[in-house]
Amino acid sequence: MNNIVEVNNLTVSFIVRGGNLLLFERGGGMMNVVNDVSFNVREGETFGLAGETGSGKSVIAWALVGLMKPRSGSVRVLGKEIDFRKKTDVTYLRRNIGIVFQDPVGSLNPRLRVREIIREGLIAAKTFDRREYDKRIEEVVDLVGLRKSSLEAYPRELSGGEKQRVSLARAIAVPRKMVILDEPTSSLDVSVQAQVLNTLKELKAKLNLSYFFITHDINVMKYMSDSLGILYYGKLLEVGRTYDVVTNPKHPFTVRLMSNVPGLKRTPITETEDRLTEQGSSATGCVYSKVCPRVFEKCSNSPPMLNLGSDHHAACFLHENT
Amino acid sequence: MTGDARSELLKVRDLTLDYATVDARVRVLQNASLTINKGEIIGIVGESGSGKTTLGLAIIGLLDSPPAEIIDGSIDFEGKDLLKLTYAELSQVRGPGIGMVFQESLAALNPVYRTDTQLKESIDVLRKAQKLEFSDKAELDMMIQILNDLRLDRPEWVLKKYPHELSGGMRQRVSIAMAIVERPKLLILDEVTTGLDVYVQNRILRILKELNRRTGTAMIFITHDLLVASQICDRLYVMYAGRVMEEGITEHVMNTPAHPYTQKLFAAIPQGFVDAPPLPATKGEAPDLRKLPTGCKFNPRCPLAMEKCMKTEPPVFQTEQGSKVLCWLLEKQ
Repeated sequence: MNNIVEVNNLTVSFIVRGGNLLLFERGGGMMNVVNDVSFNVREGETFGLAGETGSGKSVIAWALVGLMKPRSGSVRVLGKEIDFRKKTDVTYLRRNIGIVFQDPVGSLNPRLRVREIIREGLIAAKTFDRREYDKRIEEVVDLVGLRKSSLEAYPRELSGGEKQRVSLARAIAVPRKMVILDEPTSSLDVSVQAQVLNTLKELKAKLNLSYFFITHDINVMKYMSDSLGILYYGKLLEVGRTYDVVTNPKHPFTVRLMSNVPGLKRTPITETEDRLTEQGSSATGCVYSKVCPRVFEKCSNSPPMLNLGSDHHAACFLHENT
Repeated sequence: MTGDARSELLKVRDLTLDYATVDARVRVLQNASLTINKGEIIGIVGESGSGKTTLGLAIIGLLDSPPAEIIDGSIDFEGKDLLKLTYAELSQVRGPGIGMVFQESLAALNPVYRTDTQLKESIDVLRKAQKLEFSDKAELDMMIQILNDLRLDRPEWVLKKYPHELSGGMRQRVSIAMAIVERPKLLILDEVTTGLDVYVQNRILRILKELNRRTGTAMIFITHDLLVASQICDRLYVMYAGRVMEEGITEHVMNTPAHPYTQKLFAAIPQGFVDAPPLPATKGEAPDLRKLPTGCKFNPRCPLAMEKCMKTEPPVFQTEQGSKVLCWLLEKQ
């Protein structure tokens, strides 16, 4: 199967100066918010990225649409290596990858009607002739399941679910290979979330789209993604087919993450003395070693990504001999 | 855990409330009733706009009037009707009687004060209410103790931080600390775990449960996340369009939901893997309170709606398990 996006050893840094985070340029005190991350997104599949707040999930998304320049590593889109310094390459990147942001209110211009919001995306991409805009806009609005009448509405007149559909329509108005979905349903109620997730899955099949899906809701992640990566303080700790990672997690962090997922069978909370669940990262060696329940001497070194077979990889010394 | 009159802490009876604005009058709560016993944790769940937060704010008396107008009902807390108290009397109840933690910890905390100053404010309330005297040292110990109880690492460090310097989970625990330092008998928690990772969420739930066991603080847990509510609550109240549609013991509501709305809510939670069938999504969105249908308010979205549901709003029916449900399906033939 073809890879739409191949990310190798991606590192994105922020300059930390007097407590301010500035976009990385050169020199200065640097913090790697995404550190040596590699993964592939296959054609027609969903790659899910899970991790805590601040683990760098969104930064990877921003880098994938050229909103942030990587410090090192490579990003290949449809086999073409992207040089982030070249404007034409960034344009190429954006023409193939669309994005839906988490906040449905903040990502739509409040002074434009839905039709104009979607048209802006078409104008920027220059793939359609101006006379075709209206036809295309009506097509995509239909695809994402919005009523035609919403085209003349302003964002504030729409509900949360409808707003996310507008964002989605804008992202797919230009035919793209992949859409980044950054927590697309986290601000929605469950029943609306269910409708949006269903639409996303339908579109994926209909348009042979790939998704790069970011969420902290593991139930949603399981339901949506074919492959899954677990990010912790900018490091990818585990990556593999979703079923394998969820049912047979290898990294101690993933094990704990999966055990905290509430299921439909009632699991009452138990109170246990458990200071170890505090977050924290270690500057040297394995990032998880500071709070890992299974830490041993070797963890003061940085673990490599170990291949555990059948596409399952984990960055943990515990699995070195398996 | 049935309501024994002696163990009842709070009883909301048929609360009906409107928001009256210049151009419209909207019924936000209709005959909402709720009972909480001492030491119990109950959950109020439902989608946005169902009246969960309004009910919470009404209990603690934080609704602005106008626009809020109480039409009917009573809120009895330890034998006093909170709706009949003066502002000064109500202030006495707030804090040591009923505490509240809000959803947005960043907005709930004052951005220009360090944690210690914020906590001191709460301690001052306690001091005035109970006419206690603390030395500075005792006050500091008390603050450290409470942060320790909430399992915050390095409490001394946290005390010297401004809200923006703390992580979401830490901030949420600081707001919980501000509420519990006053030792309330009842704590209202409005979406306290929303927006936090499963991991931090789990931790906060655990801390709350422990607090409940140790101090017997009763809690009202308001959330749109059914699974979170089911993990911590003894009983659940499912709200829709300002009405309590179903009320019962958590296991019953979860395993054998009686109201079609509750069934839909649980069915909408994704469970399978990527090849699972589409989710049984309820059509439509949360109801517009300005244009509610006649009859049962859920009827436009209900797959089992009958003719009766379109005409008359159902009364409360009791199931064999003891859940109370607003649905004609439970009417005995």
